Amino acid sequence: MKNSIAVRLALMFAAAAMVGFALVGGALHRVLANELMRHQQEQIDGRLEDISYMLQHGRTPNLGERIGDKLETLNAADPRTRSWMWSENPAFRYGDDMPEPVAAMQSRDGVEVSVGTPPRPMRVRVRTLSATEARPEVRFMAGVDAEPFSDTLRAFETALALLTLAGTALAAALGYWIARIGLGPVQRLSADAQRIGPGNRAQRLQLPALPRELADLGASFNAALDRLDAAYRQLETFSDDVAHELRTPLANMIGQTQVALARPRNAGELQEVLQSDLEELERLRAIVADMLFLARAEQGVRARGLVASSIAAEVGKTVEFLDLLLDEAGMTVQVEGDAVAPIETSLFRRALTNLLQNAIQHSQPGASVLVRIGQHERSAEVSFSNPSAQIGSEHLPRLFDRFYRVDTSRRNSGENHGLGLSIVKAVALMHNGGVFARSDGGVTTVGFSVALDA
Amino acid sequence: MKVLIVEDERKTADYLYQGLTEQGCAVDLAFDGIDGQHMALHFDFDVIVLDVMLPGLDGFSILKSLRSVKNTPVIMLTARDGVEDRVRGLQDGADDYLVKPFSFLELLARLQALTRRGRSQESTLLRVGDLRVDLISRKAVRGSQRIDLTAKEFALLAVLARRQGEILSKTVIAELVWDMNFDSNTNVVEVAIKRLRAKIDAPFGHSLLHTSRGMGYVLEDRGGEAGE
Repeated sequence: MKNSIAVRLALMFAAAAMVGFALVGGALHRVLANELMRHQQEQIDGRLEDISYMLQHGRTPNLGERIGDKLETLNAADPRTRSWMWSENPAFRYGDDMPEPVAAMQSRDGVEVSVGTPPRPMRVRVRTLSATEARPEVRFMAGVDAEPFSDTLRAFETALALLTLAGTALAAALGYWIARIGLGPVQRLSADAQRIGPGNRAQRLQLPALPRELADLGASFNAALDRLDAAYRQLETFSDDVAHELRTPLANMIGQTQVALARPRNAGELQEVLQSDLEELERLRAIVADMLFLARAEQGVRARGLVASSIAAEVGKTVEFLDLLLDEAGMTVQVEGDAVAPIETSLFRRALTNLLQNAIQHSQPGASVLVRIGQHERSAEVSFSNPSAQIGSEHLPRLFDRFYRVDTSRRNSGENHGLGLSIVKAVALMHNGGVFARSDGGVTTVGFSVALDA
Repeated sequence: MKVLIVEDERKTADYLYQGLTEQGCAVDLAFDGIDGQHMALHFDFDVIVLDVMLPGLDGFSILKSLRSVKNTPVIMLTARDGVEDRVRGLQDGADDYLVKPFSFLELLARLQALTRRGRSQESTLLRVGDLRVDLISRKAVRGSQRIDLTAKEFALLAVLARRQGEILSKTVIAELVWDMNFDSNTNVVEVAIKRLRAKIDAPFGHSLLHTSRGMGYVLEDRGGEAGE
């Protein structure tokens, strides 16, 4: 089984919350880092300005020494900032006992250097003043201890990570809770569905109690139940019908064989009984064969050995086959149109024969049957129309059901055991086609289609 | 005709044995796959009737080992009406197949068709009693009287005359005359026979076309008795 919907929703909420927190946290982190950087810069710049002022405006002869003293004082006053000075003239050097800052000043591109023991990172900046008559060219550098700033940033990062995790967990928990509440109707739907069983097939889901999102599902489910119910009912009556169809020949055989055996009979009489039995057995065999055929079609067996054939030519052969029956009934057949379709000839002829036979059986003597053949984009269809009494619309879709009879009182003719049109449907199915029936204006039309791209 | 029947269902084997023996065939029986394979491989038969579902060794396996040595015609009998069975049987080299329940007449017809295959051209002038059927000029004459037949009536008569003395079922007749290769549930054949009978038998008082109830029709001269 898949993970529960509530768990999946909770995980998705958590993932969404995590992404949100991470984006906001990232932005805040960036702002904070920029601010800290600017603050450091300001401190450094302040110090550089001071030194620069002294170097520009100092006029005393021992200017280097005095500035050195000044820097010494400043360094002592605030241990988190430091200054250095370097020049060709040794008098204008301060802090030249530290090799790293001196190297940084000379290369002019040091941004962060380590000084002291253990080495502490310092953010530094270098400035150069060109020579005046009072002094040579001087480079000087100021730096601030970067550690407090990076400590602040690290603390912020830790807090951010913890908050993100906590928020994500909270979002997951809340999401799970919300999903459970939101899925309540599904649970009720499930409980509702559990009440449906073979015992109470009429039971359906209570649609008005469902929220809008589930109403469609419920309606589809109910519709599926309706279809299953119809199929189930058809199957029930089908077994009934089969038993009935088989009962008559069986009863005949048992009865007449018993009668024959009740007294001594001569060979001729016994032969008579055997012949009669054989007729009944043939009937049984035909029913069994037809039912196997229908079952195969329903199990998804498809036509094989398809040959592209002219449907009009096939109709012609069928008319030729039933010519004598048409002749006896004084009926004629007219064929309109043609199409070429891939078909399994013997199956197709069987369907055509059943349809034409159906038309003959349900027409008055002397009537005319119209056969229409049409070609569509993806299918070809053939239909048989004959004048007949109106067939109620409730019967039309069921004409193709096994053993279905419009007139329930009509006795089985023995010739066609009510499977003729179901076989047409099976043949259509085997060619990926369908069947249709219409009845109006005193004309009944029954036909089927076959796929062209089978 | 020498026939081997490999069939484990006793009742079926028994009636096939009796029926074929009475038709003048020499029949051997095997009740399981092992015996069947042994006999099929070591003796010569004109045709073999082979059930698919057999104890010991199934029909397909027997067919396979048989085909690796000889080409005896084989008819497969299958209870499952599966298309797969047929296709497989025919691919493996079966010459024909019948789906159970089948009619004995149909089996007989198929056996005769198989053994007749490849034989010399049959005569084009057929005689049944005083009825002569000329297949070339498509004329039928009884005694001295020319009989007027429609094309289909002549085709039906020719089919019956070619196999005179053989009972032909309605299905076989529909297939041979109208090329309708299925159980049709129609009474077309009855009507056609009735009309043919009215032309070739009724005016002459001595019937040649007989009905065998529950089985089919047969054209033969049964001696001088009048009518049926």
